[in-house]
Amino acid sequence: MMNYYDHFILPFAIGVTVLFTVILYKWIRWFVRMPQEDRRLVLRGIPTRQTLGAIGEVFMESLLHRRIWRVNPLLGYMHTSLAFGWFLLIAVGWVEASLQLPGEIIPLHAHVFFKFFAPEVDYGITGGLLGNIMDLLLLFVLSGVALAWFKRMRSKALGMQRTTKHVLGDRIALAALWFIFPARLVAESATSGLKHSTTFLTGNLGEWMVNTFGTEAIMHFSVYAWWFYSIVLGIFFVAMPFSRYMHIFTEIPLIFLRRYKVHSYEKAKSFDRFQIEACSRCGICIDPCQLQKDAGITNVQSVYFLRDRRYNRLTQEVAYNCLMCGRCETRCPVGIELNTLRLNSREKFAAMPADNRYAYLSSAADRSSGTSKVGYFAGCMTLLTPKILRAMDAIFKAAGEEVWYADKDGGVCCGRPLKLSGEVEAARRIMDFNRDLFRKHGITTLVTSCPICLKVFREDYHLKGIEVLHHSQYILRLIQQGRICVEHGHNSFTYHDPCELGRGSGIYEEPREVISQIGSLLEVDENRENALCCGSSLANIAINDAQQNRISQALAHELADTGADTVVTACPLCKKAIARNASQEVKDLSEVVAEALGQ
Amino acid sequence: MVQFGYNISQPRAINMDKNDMMISQKILRTMPELQTCIACGSCTATCTAGAITSFNFRKVHTLVRRGEYKGAYEEMNKCMLCGKCRLSCPRGINTRGVVMLIKQELGEYR
Ligand code: SF4
Ligand code: SF4
Ligand code: SF4
Ligand code: SF4
Repeated sequence: MMNYYDHFILPFAIGVTVLFTVILYKWIRWFVRMPQEDRRLVLRGIPTRQTLGAIGEVFMESLLHRRIWRVNPLLGYMHTSLAFGWFLLIAVGWVEASLQLPGEIIPLHAHVFFKFFAPEVDYGITGGLLGNIMDLLLLFVLSGVALAWFKRMRSKALGMQRTTKHVLGDRIALAALWFIFPARLVAESATSGLKHSTTFLTGNLGEWMVNTFGTEAIMHFSVYAWWFYSIVLGIFFVAMPFSRYMHIFTEIPLIFLRRYKVHSYEKAKSFDRFQIEACSRCGICIDPCQLQKDAGITNVQSVYFLRDRRYNRLTQEVAYNCLMCGRCETRCPVGIELNTLRLNSREKFAAMPADNRYAYLSSAADRSSGTSKVGYFAGCMTLLTPKILRAMDAIFKAAGEEVWYADKDGGVCCGRPLKLSGEVEAARRIMDFNRDLFRKHGITTLVTSCPICLKVFREDYHLKGIEVLHHSQYILRLIQQGRICVEHGHNSFTYHDPCELGRGSGIYEEPREVISQIGSLLEVDENRENALCCGSSLANIAINDAQQNRISQALAHELADTGADTVVTACPLCKKAIARNASQEVKDLSEVVAEALGQ
Repeated sequence: MVQFGYNISQPRAINMDKNDMMISQKILRTMPELQTCIACGSCTATCTAGAITSFNFRKVHTLVRRGEYKGAYEEMNKCMLCGKCRLSCPRGINTRGVVMLIKQELGEYR
């Protein structure tokens, strides 16, 4: 045992001890604080196939970083070489050390500083071969480090317009990480030179060093080199659990928990920590954010939001300033539920719910009219855009549909705007009122023109026995059933995917099918999952009018570039936002259909 | 008397020297755009909550700006944050932000 001790290993040993103590402490604490149901999900999930799937996913994502390859191959290579390369260095190094180091028990650090403790480098076939493999792996990792340096200087080459602005702790850890492998190369080369190794990288470099500077100098130098290598390792390990690099050890349990169907929720809970600390601050979420691109707001993107929330310095300004458009969430390589985390961070800033909140919601607030199994909920925003209301009326009439109008003459909001503002409890009261209203009038189908309402009806209302449809789905159904006919004309249309309808509810095809029955459809570059936000999202409570307008301008510009005669969307709020800056006509899907109604 | 659908507000005096303007000033500092309000009343006219209650958004935020805080918190709590007012405001004021801010600042004035 004593053979394997030298003072220089101390920084490394301390670093590793701190690292694993902190990680274990965090994991146990987060897990124990998880609500009962979450823990039950985990226990039930462990003996299932999901565990195997999670192991595979850990390999694909945490080591190979498959999803980052999709963002940009060079960026993917950088992450793979660092993560997978380092992993292989540890694994192969372990084999190498176990085969060649004498003694029964080989302590951990002897693997790490193998070249230093090896009695004679690369003796025998195993040694020569493994030594060369290790050199190759080191070169693989070093290429990743070089790319990381390069990325700092020229991020665009790696497909990123903007990179994350890092905090001090991250900078320390990052600097240490950059030095680890060059330091390892130098230290191993020095020792290899002294021990006359013949491996292609460290052996040759060592030989050159000895020949150039002399054995004496390299002997002295190697002591410092090993110290330096140990110190940077130690610094990195100590900084790791407190910096962005905690993501390495958080993504692994996160992948398992996600497979066991644990999710974040509109109220904050302990599982959120697993998601928050799994963020690697890669900054991939910055470029897609229109607040950054168009409105010049640069401190609220998901990477900064998660960072602030993690270090308990989240301000109301950052929590509130987000459109919850979901553009970042679809790109996050870790798959963090960014919208939900933003949402559940807002509750602590919201006003305390008063007991008599919305006591005025009695039967007096029932302004509904008509009787039918089919209900229509216009939604507040549709009431502000009466053309949509009239178009829906025309469509109902053409189809011969009797309709119960929930809110044509004024109604109660669906509750989603309140929920998005963090007033979750208050929102519940509104939702309960509307749900009772739907039940009281005995509808079995609920059509709405507003994707915001649609989403909350589907996700929070628990409307068992009532089918909830967006008007785009309903209209398509009427056409397919032959209940209405539309005439195909010569107009060209472009379609804007509303966030809450597309990314929010997964409805992309129905509006497109309806449009293509009426005219030709010209797509914008960024559509479907990548569609832009109109900027007026109710989820953003902090944005001002000028900023909203700039986002709308950029979108209107994109839409105009298609050259289409008419812009079609399927959300009254998007319609209003786009119309502010559009050079063509902007219509809701229902208006287009109503105008094309044939006999 | 013939009813034309109009009525006249009761005259009332607000003594700006007596009122504690601290909170009002803080609100205007946080959301300076509120100073651009022209009191047109569009917000109140479209208001979802105003259609089923006596809640009058313009009146409440105007009174708060004048240092009249009493009852403002309860009134603002009637708002459903639906956002119609923001879309109809000719000055582009972030009215939902105003509601939340007033509630935050006046929470203890219940
Ligand atoms: S939220 Fe996702 S995309 Fe953004 S920095 Fe974190 S890991 Fe990267
Ligand atoms: S949800 Fe949209 S607005 Fe919010 S941070 Fe992500 S991209 Fe930006
Ligand atoms: S957000 Fe509030 S004040 Fe504005 S229209 Fe809706 S209910 Fe009225
Ligand atoms: S709509 Fe805007 S400008 Fe008009 S009273 Fe309301 S807040 Fe003031």
